[in-house]
Amino acid sequence: MQTISTDVLVIGGGATGTGCALDLAMRGIRCVLVEKGDLTHGTTGRYHGLLHSGGRYVTKDPQSATECAHENAILRRIMPHCIEPTSGFFVITPWDDESYGDVFVANCQRTGVPVQEISVAEMLRREPVLNPRISRVFEVPDASADSFLATHSVALAAREYGADIRTYHNVVDLIRVGDQVMGAIVEDLRSGERIRIDCAYVLNAAGAWAGKIAAMAGVTVTVVPGKGTMVAMNHRMVNTVVNRCKLPSDGDIIVPIHTVAVIGTTDVHVPDPDVFGIEPEEIQFMLDEGEKLIPGFRQYRALRAWAGVRPLYKDKDVASDRDIPRTFKLLDHEARDGVRGILSIVGGKWTTYRLMAEQTVNELARRLGNTQPCRTASEVLPVPRFEHRAHSTVTVSPDPAAQTPYYWLGKPLALVESEHAAGELICECELVTRERILAAIDAGAHNLDDIRRDVRMGMGPCQGGWCIYRTANLLYERRCANGLTHTNANEAIMHFLQERWKGLTSVLWGDQLRQARLDELIYVGVLGIQYLRPLAEPGGGLVTQHPAIATEYVQA
Amino acid sequence: MDHIELSLTQSLDHCIKCNICTSACPVAAVTDAFPGPKYVGPQAQRFRHAAQPVPDESVDYCSGCRVCNQVCPTGVRIAELNARARAQIVAERGMPLRNRIIARSGLVGRLSSGPHAPLVNFTLNFAPARWLIERVMGIHRHAPLPKASTYTFRSWFKRRKPTVNGKRPQVVYFHGCSTNYYEPRVGQAAIAVLEHLGFEVIVPPQRCCGLPLLSNGDFPAAQKQHEYNVTHLLPYARAGIPIVGTSTSCTLTLKEEAPELLGLHGDDIRAVAAGTYDIFEFLRDLYMQGRLRTDFRPIERAIPYHPPCQLRAHRIGRPVLDVLGLVPGLRLQESRAECCGIAGTYGIKREKYQIAMDVGQPLFQFVRASGQDLALCDSETCRWQISHATGVATRHPIEILAEAYGLQP
Amino acid sequence: MYDTIVIGAGLSGMMAAIGRAERGEKVLVLAKGYGATHWSTGCIDLLAGCDDPFHGITQLAAQRPHHPYALAGPTMIEGGIARLRAICEAAGYPLVGNLNRHMLLPTALGALRPTTFAPVTMIAGDARQLRDGRPTLIAGFAELRDFFPPLIAANLRAQGIAATAAQLAMPPVGRQRDFSPATLARLCEQPAFRASLGEQLAALARQGDYARIGLPAILGLKHATEVVRDLQNRAGALVFEIPTLPVSVPGMRLYQILEDEFLRLGGRIQLGGFVQRGESISDTLVAVFSEAAAREQRHAARRWVLATGGILGGGARATPEGYVRETALDLPLQAPAGRAGWFAPRFLNEEGHPIFQSGVRVDERLRPLDAAGRLVYDNVMVVGGALAGFDPIREGCLEGAAIATGWMAGMS
Repeated sequence: MQTISTDVLVIGGGATGTGCALDLAMRGIRCVLVEKGDLTHGTTGRYHGLLHSGGRYVTKDPQSATECAHENAILRRIMPHCIEPTSGFFVITPWDDESYGDVFVANCQRTGVPVQEISVAEMLRREPVLNPRISRVFEVPDASADSFLATHSVALAAREYGADIRTYHNVVDLIRVGDQVMGAIVEDLRSGERIRIDCAYVLNAAGAWAGKIAAMAGVTVTVVPGKGTMVAMNHRMVNTVVNRCKLPSDGDIIVPIHTVAVIGTTDVHVPDPDVFGIEPEEIQFMLDEGEKLIPGFRQYRALRAWAGVRPLYKDKDVASDRDIPRTFKLLDHEARDGVRGILSIVGGKWTTYRLMAEQTVNELARRLGNTQPCRTASEVLPVPRFEHRAHSTVTVSPDPAAQTPYYWLGKPLALVESEHAAGELICECELVTRERILAAIDAGAHNLDDIRRDVRMGMGPCQGGWCIYRTANLLYERRCANGLTHTNANEAIMHFLQERWKGLTSVLWGDQLRQARLDELIYVGVLGIQYLRPLAEPGGGLVTQHPAIATEYVQA
Repeated sequence: MDHIELSLTQSLDHCIKCNICTSACPVAAVTDAFPGPKYVGPQAQRFRHAAQPVPDESVDYCSGCRVCNQVCPTGVRIAELNARARAQIVAERGMPLRNRIIARSGLVGRLSSGPHAPLVNFTLNFAPARWLIERVMGIHRHAPLPKASTYTFRSWFKRRKPTVNGKRPQVVYFHGCSTNYYEPRVGQAAIAVLEHLGFEVIVPPQRCCGLPLLSNGDFPAAQKQHEYNVTHLLPYARAGIPIVGTSTSCTLTLKEEAPELLGLHGDDIRAVAAGTYDIFEFLRDLYMQGRLRTDFRPIERAIPYHPPCQLRAHRIGRPVLDVLGLVPGLRLQESRAECCGIAGTYGIKREKYQIAMDVGQPLFQFVRASGQDLALCDSETCRWQISHATGVATRHPIEILAEAYGLQP
Repeated sequence: MYDTIVIGAGLSGMMAAIGRAERGEKVLVLAKGYGATHWSTGCIDLLAGCDDPFHGITQLAAQRPHHPYALAGPTMIEGGIARLRAICEAAGYPLVGNLNRHMLLPTALGALRPTTFAPVTMIAGDARQLRDGRPTLIAGFAELRDFFPPLIAANLRAQGIAATAAQLAMPPVGRQRDFSPATLARLCEQPAFRASLGEQLAALARQGDYARIGLPAILGLKHATEVVRDLQNRAGALVFEIPTLPVSVPGMRLYQILEDEFLRLGGRIQLGGFVQRGESISDTLVAVFSEAAAREQRHAARRWVLATGGILGGGARATPEGYVRETALDLPLQAPAGRAGWFAPRFLNEEGHPIFQSGVRVDERLRPLDAAGRLVYDNVMVVGGALAGFDPIREGCLEGAAIATGWMAGMS
């Protein structure tokens, strides 16, 4: 077995783990990060994409609110290409408690969340589809954020600083000698090979899976996986984040992100982060809640639904699941459980990932005798190659609004137009050019789902009808000389079709059902993919079927 | 937002990306300056945002022919989405002088028609002048510009002695700019036919329907025109008096284009829309009610007929074929070409002239191949384009109908 | 004004319309837009999962008496196909095949797909010939996003066909970008474009001693047969087309031929507005209303053919609440009760998904029935994908069922 040794082994390639790897590497601490799937494979890649202003937490969880407000400003500086400054509204609808408005404002002020009341008329001018029966509107600096791209940017920076980041590496076991955790055995899911990683510290940043990792070291960390279901609607009927002004609950937020508007979320505690389903009632409930914010919401086209699991950490002294705070916590298992060489960072949310990393790495650095200060709040993150023009400003429009390093909705189209690249689009719905697909392939994609996360291929209305075929062929052409066979390519298509299908069935009606039937005509009727089933098998450097990364959707 | 508004803005949701529109688009077929209706329509619409710059300029190459709307199996209002996107570009960046002028067909018509028309026509036929106009204004030197009339339709109508006697059912005639300033004979034929059918024809004050403004993206100016027309047509619409037009693009604008594109859905606007008819649509309705006179003289000839895009956009079938099919001996050969290319003012623009001529090729070949010296078409700019490209005289079908009734307008 | 109005312009609607027009009726086809012809392969699939399609159909009809094939019966199936083939033949675009034998034609993924009749431009790709050991070239353009020769060739090799992939250079044309299948098809009708293409093919054929060359199905719109013949002569090898993703050029050709024939017979087509309701007197449908500018248009006829398709065609539409509605006349539909029964967990489930078998239940004369089996309209016939109780895509009978029932409505 190959053995690697390092200072810190980070487990988990979500926002937190990747953020920790960057912070460690920046301070000159050697680290290896392992992730069983792709970066953001867990919860980071399955949330609605809100950059919190903190407004949602001002009453119930003031510490989180303050942290969010602080980090919000920092992230805008260090990753402008991942953020669209949409702004956010908190609105009081006829179904909400009118008196909460004043409480909300007072609590915003107390926690440092910038807030300003605007008139309903002004709200309707900016967002004409919102419910005219809304009585009060408060504006806060919410924004939407591309958590896939952000995590890739962080990982890219971490690699530049020397971090060793390994995706599709699953932790099989932790090596514990007496009371000391010495490292881990990991499996490379592409080859099946096992690797031993020796380290001074294991950092458990596995989010909703942190309990499973901790158990390998013989310690108990209770993470209550809180399933949140979200529905993406086909286009952005609003361009501002819209929250109900009330204590956070289900279906009370709409986030415009990229080309879609995401309504979320539910919060259902599930026993296992790998086994959960999307209940039809959850979808219907969110459509009903959507109607309260946007009359006619049900008539819009739903694109897909998905669920992520919040890594809610339940402290030993918390009696009820309901009282779990949304703040994060760094667990020192030596002090807590008498096991040395392992720390767990649990809880928290995407917006505060950097702060979580900073505090975690402060602790690790102190123990390792490293005195370098944290610099992640000031260094602007690099842009991955598959997003190579993210920083470029647009030349087709003389409008100053177009000349911004921030993402804006029309920017991808403006870039494609300026390059006359319409004929080069592989994914036409999300405007992904051949060049960007190839860059994502070359960046090391291990299946079509990775490419989807990298460049949004297959995430638009057609849900892959055309682009799955095209992308799989590009993948085959690019890699067939390096061991990727036609059987692997066939498998990749079938696997991805199935992945998309999982996210689709709960929202298939109307136009989207019609679309699904057209996609069926394409793959079954025109391409005859069912006849290739005997010619499909996993491999060739792709990971498709492995049980370690399979999420079992249980359809109720 | 009401449901009509939603049905337009939200229609992008119906797109299943099937490419039928792009494969049928006559503009995308001849130029790569226009990536196709799906691309600039429902696909681009997901990237457009009222408070942000319009991210695509290629939308300006949409001619607005609406073939895409017609062939789309799912009901996306592609052409309307494009027209609105163009209007947003104009609102952001202003409109080039050329477009500001050609979009004001009423003004241009007023300036060019009348006793001095021969001079205007001479100038517009004079190559160096056209060269200069192309350089300065961007209007292609070969673009088919209509011949100004030495008298206007309205002046003729005022001077004439009405043939009315006794109480007759009334009908309002919307003549539009082209009939008034360039082809009064079309209006004269329409009046003759309507009176022959026993109607008293009213010609209330009216302005340009606003279509050239809409298709060049000046929505505020178009709205003024439309509101003026609605004010003057509303009393008749409310009284149940049909409003009939010979310019199929004007009637379409009153019925649908203006209200939809401008987002005007008030009761008055709807009343005028619901009371407006293309003249052959009106005549076909009369026929179905048994009220159309059929005392036709036989016309023994074959004539090529092109149903223009603007007529197809009414979604009422082919009323000209239905009505002229009643004339003994007359054999209309229907063109199946998608579009003549001109699309109102599109094909006269320097950068689009050749595209328009290429789009129209199949139609021109059809007209030439017919071997006839006359063609029919319901839309004025299309008539001018067909004549320009083929040398075949092209007239409004109402003129043939008047002839069949033996009427001398 | 009309004897028969057909709602829907897909294959079933056009066959019905042609049938009625041939009998001297005045016929109108009313449709929102183009239909499934433009999405599919342009081949005539009769039935998958059997060696002898006609025999398979007979067996199927015996087992499933409500299947469109059982309703139409062998005479209509044979008659409709014979008529369609005659129309295509007369248009210079013959459909080749045999009712008792499948062809296996390569797809754009390199799968071998059974079909019963295919345009003459495709038949040299039949796997029985391809497996003769002589080398086959699969060639395409890098600029075309819907056709990738390497994977096609690799999958064909895995199925015993000596296939090699090659990329062609785009012949010099006035156009720099946006090479969609339809655009390429138009370009193929230009002699200069074809000459350059032919030269390249000839050079490749000489180099690799290829007996056959498979190309994307973009070889001409109106004159495909001549384009293929010309390329074969230039290349010195047989040429065959492989269907690509929608929009399908062979599908466009098929529609065009049917439209030409219908118009030649004096029919009228009106596209652009949905049919949104009907008007009836007891069990007689007297008129329908189509959406139009500013107001509906009323259409009257003696007899009606509903050919609006199923979920894909737009004839049936499902709601978030779990209902399925017939869109044109609000006919009662047969559909799975509630969302829970709509889908199988796997997308590629062999039996497909129950929701897609939703449709109108009919009597033995294709007239619509309600849930209790009572006749809804005496003068309406339902054809093609609008019918209940079958899955045309999964069963591989999309065109066959459309032709058989369409022709039945055209003849009876």
